[in-house]
Amino acid sequence: MFSEDTILLLYEITDVLIAGLSTGSVYALMAVGMTLVYGVTKAFNFAYGDFFNMGGYFAWILMFGIGFQFGGYVTVLIVVMPLMFLVGYALEKLMVAPLRKRADWENKVMMLTLGLALFLTSLYTVVFGVRMKSLPPILEGTLEVGQLVFSYQDILIFVMSIGGIMVFGWMLNNTRIGMAVKAVAQNPIGAKIVGIPKERIFASTFAISTVMVGFGGILLSQKWFINPMSGGTIMVKAWVVTAFGGMGSIRGGLYAAFIIGLLEAFVGWLFGMSYSIIALFILLLATLVIRPQGLMGKGD
Amino acid sequence: MRLKHMAIIIGVAYGIMALLPLLVGDIRFLMNILIMCLIWAVVASCWDVMMGFAGIFSFGQVAFFVMGAYCSGILAIEHHVTPVLSILIAGLFTAGMGVLVGLPCLRLAGPYVALVTFGVHMALQPTLRGEIGIALGSGGSVGLLTIPPINIFGYSFSSANIVPTFYLTLLVSLACALVIMFVIKSYWGVAFLALKDSQDFAMSLGISAFKYKLMVFALTSFLTGIIGAYYGHFYGVLSFRMLDLDLFSILMVMMLVGGLGHYPGSIIGAFLVVAGSELMAPLGAYRAVTMGALVVILVLALPNGVMGFFLKRASDRAPSG
Repeated sequence: MFSEDTILLLYEITDVLIAGLSTGSVYALMAVGMTLVYGVTKAFNFAYGDFFNMGGYFAWILMFGIGFQFGGYVTVLIVVMPLMFLVGYALEKLMVAPLRKRADWENKVMMLTLGLALFLTSLYTVVFGVRMKSLPPILEGTLEVGQLVFSYQDILIFVMSIGGIMVFGWMLNNTRIGMAVKAVAQNPIGAKIVGIPKERIFASTFAISTVMVGFGGILLSQKWFINPMSGGTIMVKAWVVTAFGGMGSIRGGLYAAFIIGLLEAFVGWLFGMSYSIIALFILLLATLVIRPQGLMGKGD
Repeated sequence: MRLKHMAIIIGVAYGIMALLPLLVGDIRFLMNILIMCLIWAVVASCWDVMMGFAGIFSFGQVAFFVMGAYCSGILAIEHHVTPVLSILIAGLFTAGMGVLVGLPCLRLAGPYVALVTFGVHMALQPTLRGEIGIALGSGGSVGLLTIPPINIFGYSFSSANIVPTFYLTLLVSLACALVIMFVIKSYWGVAFLALKDSQDFAMSLGISAFKYKLMVFALTSFLTGIIGAYYGHFYGVLSFRMLDLDLFSILMVMMLVGGLGHYPGSIIGAFLVVAGSELMAPLGAYRAVTMGALVVILVLALPNGVMGFFLKRASDRAPSG
């Protein structure tokens, strides 16, 4: 049979695997939001990672800043999600929409959102301090199957983010606003002709992606802490997942998110966390060279 | 803008700079700021050539600057190379890295290029801090502390004799500015602009996108690397903290104040923003917040920067010219 050491190693690998899967599921959520906003509005959001932190900070403010802990995370979600929607909608209307009329507005949007990212990052540092904030786990306790130990937190993060994606997918295919979003993505002019309010759809799409990444922020901040400076890294990760999975393909994003979540967990376990961003960067370059359209992307 | 006008603006800006030490030459703090103005002017101009003229949306300029600085610093400390030579080697090294980064970017569209170059920026910090960097001699999380000053024929240009150092910086910076000016006004510059406006049409006229885009990467990263190496030797210490977002946002504000694609503008933008950012020093941590907000406001309100503003005024006054 296996020696004691081998079994311990196997348990350790299982732990890493579980961590990778639960992180990966949140990445999937973020990648879907990103693919949506870029696919529909062609606006690339450099502040995406800072909205991730914004979700975490809103939850922290509610639970510890104000001290309102009644209902736990249910209340947090009920309060923070609409708040994120409002923030996203207002930002799109105030900042991105005025740029649409200009020549090469896509580049201008990138500069603007990068400025926004710098602004938010330093704002978080000033307001909340450089020290990381932590959120309590959504569920305490562990589930033990034989010798394997799963924490309820990991399981719930996994279930909630996959559930979030499924709700989103259902909305996109079955509700009026979802179909309008799809119509605008396929043919903006045609959508306008049949009377779909394009500007409002753009703003809503931006807002929905903000909600998704904020939701991801609330979920993952319990495991990772909220780091004011981490916005850039998270944005790069979300974008690597999106590019690796293929732009505009939700299923590709899903596979890519799990592959990258696992890759990151194993690279972190083997070489240390600081190498994970290097590994991701190499993966991104390899993807772009070998298969620029990504895993499931349609290509041009 | 015509070559004559560019030359006049550059001449006036650098002329004023050259006169300032007569007034404040014995205040070391102010001289340091002036030297920083000259250094950042080059970096901002290079970034402007990349984004405003060639239309390549690269966010890797700070990374190239740091690469150049570290390369020259490591050469001088570990391998005892004379600073002037090590600066040139650093420039060539950075140019090579620029071409390496540029190669995958050639096939990519806007946001992908932005992301790959931003990825270079993000990946550089753990590389310098981690074991790879330590093996190369980057000093890990301490950074480089004892970079020797530039030494020409036994005369050392350090912050001890700051006025001569200032004039050396002025010469280097002016040389870079003139190189950029002539490149923009030469056949290359026209090719960059043509590729930016319509790549397909430019290529149908026989302009090789491959060649010119790589050239932009090589040229801008060469100049940025040289000035980064110069910065390292002047400052004497280097830390990976330079890759934090502060510097990045200040550089972006410089470029936006000057006006994207309005070349000598970024030089004036750099002068204004370095001075302005020193004036904002009492704001403390809020300075970075202000810089971020400024980027947003400038993109929205002043799309062509100071330069575009004045050019518009000028063309309003004389519609025929």
